[in-house]
Amino acid sequence: MLITGKGGVGRSVMTAALAKLAASRGRRVLVTEVGDEGDDYSPLARHWSRERLPRLPEPLEPNVHGCVLLARTGQELFLKSVLRSGTLARAAIGSDALRRLLSAGPSFREMGVFFQLLTALREKSGDQPAHELILIDMPATGHTLSLTGLPELLLRLVPGGPIAAALKEGQGYLNDPKQASAWIITLPETLPVSECLELIDGLKKTKMPVGGVVVNRMPSDPFSPAEREALAPLVDRHAWLGRELFKKPLVAHRELARLRSHTALPLFVTPELPHDGLIAALSRVLDTATPLPQPVGGG
Amino acid sequence: MTGAVRVGELIRSKKVIVCCGAGGVGKTTTAAAISLAAARAGRKVLVLTIDPSRRLAETLGVSRNPPDPVRIPKDRSDAAGITTGSLDAWMLDIKLVSDSAVRRLVKNEADAQRILSNRIYQQVSTMVAGMHEYTAMEALHRLVHAGTYDLVVLDTPPSRNALDFLEAPRRLSGLVDSRAISAFLPRSDSLVTRAASRVIEKILGAVFGDEFAHEFVTFVATFTGIFKSLNVDVSEMRQFLSGDDVAFLLVSSPAPAALTEASFFHDKTRELSLPFRGFVLNRSHATEAGRPMPSLPEGAPDAVRTGLPKLIGLAELERHAAQRDFTLLGELTKRAGQSATAMALPDLPQGADDIATLVTVADALMAH
Repeated sequence: MLITGKGGVGRSVMTAALAKLAASRGRRVLVTEVGDEGDDYSPLARHWSRERLPRLPEPLEPNVHGCVLLARTGQELFLKSVLRSGTLARAAIGSDALRRLLSAGPSFREMGVFFQLLTALREKSGDQPAHELILIDMPATGHTLSLTGLPELLLRLVPGGPIAAALKEGQGYLNDPKQASAWIITLPETLPVSECLELIDGLKKTKMPVGGVVVNRMPSDPFSPAEREALAPLVDRHAWLGRELFKKPLVAHRELARLRSHTALPLFVTPELPHDGLIAALSRVLDTATPLPQPVGGG
Repeated sequence: MTGAVRVGELIRSKKVIVCCGAGGVGKTTTAAAISLAAARAGRKVLVLTIDPSRRLAETLGVSRNPPDPVRIPKDRSDAAGITTGSLDAWMLDIKLVSDSAVRRLVKNEADAQRILSNRIYQQVSTMVAGMHEYTAMEALHRLVHAGTYDLVVLDTPPSRNALDFLEAPRRLSGLVDSRAISAFLPRSDSLVTRAASRVIEKILGAVFGDEFAHEFVTFVATFTGIFKSLNVDVSEMRQFLSGDDVAFLLVSSPAPAALTEASFFHDKTRELSLPFRGFVLNRSHATEAGRPMPSLPEGAPDAVRTGLPKLIGLAELERHAAQRDFTLLGELTKRAGQSATAMALPDLPQGADDIATLVTVADALMAH
């Protein structure tokens, strides 16, 4: 599962909640995020009281392994798998020129991340896959699309050889809706919903199956219709504090309806939850979540 | 506010304003509002933005990716209250600028054609790390030298880190570092390099297959060849950007990390001798701290009586947020010191980036 969406929508929180939920149901989970070499902070790792995720899978709690997907780790894994000679692989990894090329060059970063993911998919424990479910906390949406679009793009350039073989193998997983899906996390607000709709289109273009959309932090509305009607003119006239939050549930419902009318994908809604015990509460919500009804005439 | 620095004064007097900031903080909208403010004040302004949102282009009524800057249409310019000044916008993608960089850097048209028609170049010119940032530098450099504008506002490319804009071109020029790159070149005089070259050829052959590896090496050689002059450009640009005509602004949102980011940016600009002039705290509720709490009007109906306590609960939350942002603004002002400033811009209604909203922001900037 690729967990994607713009920054600030609760993507990492959702990834952690899903990992813990799946683990509690007895699945062997690998939780990952796409990282950068210089990162000194991981929003995902803190849910396991760590500053960073390890470079290679390590247990985080029962049934949950974790690692960071780094371009460099993947590139090294790839070079080692391709260059049978250990000396050559070491020379390649140690080569300054090659390192510079790999850090600046076209698509090499995505290729590294892609290959590390593929390695995790291949990993076995006995004759079973080592990880039954791999969750990937994806970076900003542009990077998501360059990763999901990578196989098609590179295969046009490099139709044969080991890169092509790895790309085709990865594509076999990623483009198969039975095995992989992207989930978009968004908020019930104007810009996030617009960007979510754009991302759905973008993912479809890269042939990445989309499992559904989670609309996070849906505000509850404490006011009765009569209270709303009576308060609305006062709130505007006096420019009282509380005005934005008063209007927020209305905007949220409007935006949810807009999203519903523009996509037939399964939509799930998760409420605004208190900060304390967030992950556990969110896991419980996800455990029993059902998709919103399809729009009339949609489907 | 601190010292003598005023954002409004920067907008009236500087020749270049560079808006930096992490992605998703409303940097593009702020850059547009700054340009609008300057044009409203009678200046000839260009706003240069790389890979902008469709919405902003629609608001300003300009197409994306034109070959040259375009004047915003008269109805928008009238709506924005621009009279003696003018506003041009150039919203471009990196493919376009990287093609023109090739043409400019390769003096000979036949060579330029060979690179532009190379299928690898066509696929990768937009994907090379650092290319966005190089593109921005390149376009800015040319525009400033042309001298057509009183003010060029640069909206730096979105990135995780506000300073990628300054660092990434170096990564690209690191690639063309002579020693590293000569290992890829087919011919070389040095024995050591030749040995390294053979190792790399073997590796590339194993990775890509021999035929593609050969094509790739040729590509790398030509492509990096043209970027050899990049080193010069970057340092020349650095020098220009450290001048008195330039102001760097950091746009941030009131996230918990804003202060850390601001300190980092401040230190880094000082280290690079770049004229840091201020923090713009976007989407801030700092100015709302003074708004009234809800209170019971005379003869209020029952629905108001039962609803009001709930509204007061929400108002408390908003007051808390406003207070927090106000404190953050104070911290930023302190951090800005004497040679810079800090100001807050309000949290705009979601999706409201029509001309009227931009004018409101422009006025807030000028009033500072």
